[in-house]
Amino acid sequence: MRFTSFFSFSATILATSLLATTAIADKSNTLTVYTYDSFSSDWGPGPKIKEDFEKVCACELKYVGLDSSVGILSRIQLEGASSKADVLLGLDVNLMASAEKTGLLATHTVNTEKVTVPNGWNNPYFVPFDQGYFAFIYDTEKLQTVPTSLNDIVESQDLRVIYQDPRTSTPGLGLLLWMKSVYGDKADEAWEKLSSHTVTVTKGWYDGYSLFLKGEADVVLSYTTSPAYHMVAEGVNKYQAAPASEGFYPQVEVAAQLKNAPNPELAGQFMSFILEDGFQSHVATGNWMFPVVETTTPLPEAFSSLEQPTKVLSLPVEDVSMNRSVWVDEWLEATTR
Amino acid sequence: MRIELSALSLSLSQWRLLPAFCLILVFTLIGAASLAALLFYGEADRWGSYLSSTYLWRVVRFSLWQALLSSVLSIGFAIPIASALMRRQFFGRDTLFQLFAVSMVVPSIVAILGIVIVYGRSGWINSWIGVEVPLYGLLGILLAHLFFNLPLAVRLLVQAHGLIPQAQWRLALQLGFSRWQAFKTIEWHYIRKALPGAFVLIFMLCFSSFAVVLSLGGGPKSSTLEVAIYQALRFDFDVSKASVLSLLQVLICSSVALLIYRFSLPLKQDNSVLTLTSYRLKDSFWSRLFDYGAIAFALLLIIPPFIAILEPVYSKVFWQTLQDKKMWMAVGVSLKIAIPAAILSVTLGIGFVFVARYAYFRPQLVWLAKLVEHLGSSILMIPGLVIATGLFLIFRQIGWGFDQGYWIVVWVNGMMALPFVLRALVPVFYQQEKRYRMLYASLGIWGWPRFLLEWPVVRGSISQAFGYALLLCLGDMGVIALFGSSGLMSLPLYLFQLIGSYRLEQGSSVAVVLVILCVLLFVLSTRIIGGVSRVKH
Repeated sequence: MRFTSFFSFSATILATSLLATTAIADKSNTLTVYTYDSFSSDWGPGPKIKEDFEKVCACELKYVGLDSSVGILSRIQLEGASSKADVLLGLDVNLMASAEKTGLLATHTVNTEKVTVPNGWNNPYFVPFDQGYFAFIYDTEKLQTVPTSLNDIVESQDLRVIYQDPRTSTPGLGLLLWMKSVYGDKADEAWEKLSSHTVTVTKGWYDGYSLFLKGEADVVLSYTTSPAYHMVAEGVNKYQAAPASEGFYPQVEVAAQLKNAPNPELAGQFMSFILEDGFQSHVATGNWMFPVVETTTPLPEAFSSLEQPTKVLSLPVEDVSMNRSVWVDEWLEATTR
Repeated sequence: MRIELSALSLSLSQWRLLPAFCLILVFTLIGAASLAALLFYGEADRWGSYLSSTYLWRVVRFSLWQALLSSVLSIGFAIPIASALMRRQFFGRDTLFQLFAVSMVVPSIVAILGIVIVYGRSGWINSWIGVEVPLYGLLGILLAHLFFNLPLAVRLLVQAHGLIPQAQWRLALQLGFSRWQAFKTIEWHYIRKALPGAFVLIFMLCFSSFAVVLSLGGGPKSSTLEVAIYQALRFDFDVSKASVLSLLQVLICSSVALLIYRFSLPLKQDNSVLTLTSYRLKDSFWSRLFDYGAIAFALLLIIPPFIAILEPVYSKVFWQTLQDKKMWMAVGVSLKIAIPAAILSVTLGIGFVFVARYAYFRPQLVWLAKLVEHLGSSILMIPGLVIATGLFLIFRQIGWGFDQGYWIVVWVNGMMALPFVLRALVPVFYQQEKRYRMLYASLGIWGWPRFLLEWPVVRGSISQAFGYALLLCLGDMGVIALFGSSGLMSLPLYLFQLIGSYRLEQGSSVAVVLVILCVLLFVLSTRIIGGVSRVKH
């Protein structure tokens, strides 16, 4: 028969995959944490946090590394109540509303009084674990006149700017909110001005940042903490964050426990562990973000030289989730005029 | 009595194709079911509202325009280049061919950086000649799309060249044809048969190109439907919107494909025997100039970004990366996905091509051949992310979770590579059918024995198909990004993880490994499956 061999081949594939379904190991003493992959990677904070947590929990912590912050949310939206995850770690603050809407999250019992995020923290579902500020990064050896405000960046017609698309990336969304909180109703005019000297708008953070490192732009949207990476890991001091006199827009990353967590006790224990030293002390040089509580071990020197916000801007999370698509449309309209 | 017998044998021969039909059916069902699963995930009454945005139609218009330009340019340049490459022998020609196979699997971010290193503001052209290329905008998109698709077009046309029978060249030699006459009277007839298929393939690739259009497009003016689909699926979790937009993309690309096939010339397959020896035709200064000019143009366009991509070889980081155990594990995972996916893809492809060639030479069934061919290519119009998500929703119903992610990744990758596999297989299988159909029928040879007899002639194309599929699955980002997890870290994912954590240099080194791996695997698969004699083009 012409296709017997091919057929038996596909049959083998099917059979093997069916066998695989029955072989799902469900260890009772394992805590499964969904996070983005640069968090769980060898050079991220994940492995050290795992080590510290396993010392106190007598359990095994297993990371499932997903492609991005949004990827974590997509994954549980797809899996629904049947998800094997105990904890989601690494949602952006602006994704909280969508995550809450899934109805899959459990409230936490962690005392968040010590948390140092702007305007304090009071949310029944989410516990913050690191914070930073969006900022434009420049190369001190190349850029002569350094912009001192977001308005400078918008107005300087010969400044070549790269930022990320708010439809596909969290920093892009961050800039959208930053612009909105600085310009309010005049945001569309500001976008139009910015678009005339924008080199390009990339899909993700790494596309934009890589283009910047190759010398394609004077400034790129990133975080105030980005220079710390170059200083600590590469010994390079030339990259700095441009100050913003209007204030910086913060990014806070959060964690939440799932209602159907296979291991609720361990999940609860991990949620409180997030604000402890065993977790927070690895955030700075692992994730290149600021911790959300005062840590006993001081931050590396590079962090104290970073641009500090004089003022922190912030839009209420409810407003953001309500108006996001309107603001994205406004951005689209203004930049494609 | 005689008539009855022949009718019986016809229906018998149709039954013999049942397994191949089953393959097509499975493929179609999986594709359709995953789209349907998404469509009916949300409420149907909002479908109209998704399509009423002016921005959406602006995006569609732009996508059509850039895809049209990209594919016309790729193919337009590929015609003289393919012809010149077929005619001229020069040092490094085979290497060039292997490199040409790889360009389409280079992860887009790596290709973008390669192009930026050459044409960018701090790039080679600007620092050597002092001319700043206005890269961001249509020009950048076209440069990148040429980088990806010109080599593909050249390979497809070279394959068409391979179908020119020896007798015709001999005749051309005897008649003293010039280079131009030979092209006009012989080559063109074979090349133009391959044009519609190549055009549609490249058009679809460019229409749905995502990262390239965003990064080099210079702003949201340059965008593709794929961005809207991604946004709907990932950011808004608006599953039904994503599927409506995917359907729109399928509709647009299908219309273009139909239009192209409608105006394309009917295929006339030649009966003659193929060989690989070529005759030396009358040569002249101008024809030499023309050929080497075309080759030089291809080299200038394709090679510099490749050199830029391979640049990290000189850095210390590259050699450190080679000692990175994690990277080798990622190589292992990539192979674990790509090899079964490529086998699956070629299996599907052979099934498709068996049905298509059976139908093609029966006048009342020609439509079926076209349908089957188009069906195989149509998968390209649906974003991999959409298929994968749809499949996941189906599998969730039957209790499969991400633990089975590996199989989903293999299946979807195998399906996604099918259009390329078909382009490689269709010409030679059609030719075999045309030439020997009657002979095989009269001798009653069919099925496995016939395949064995055909093997020496088709193995070259099968090896090409396998190579394409292998490379595509190796370079996959979209599907594995959704289903991948810590346990399933492929080489491209590892690369993105590195650049996602500021480690651009290390990431570039991994890209070099990926490119070298691709070349190696392509050479290996053409040698092992294709046999040594088929390596020469």
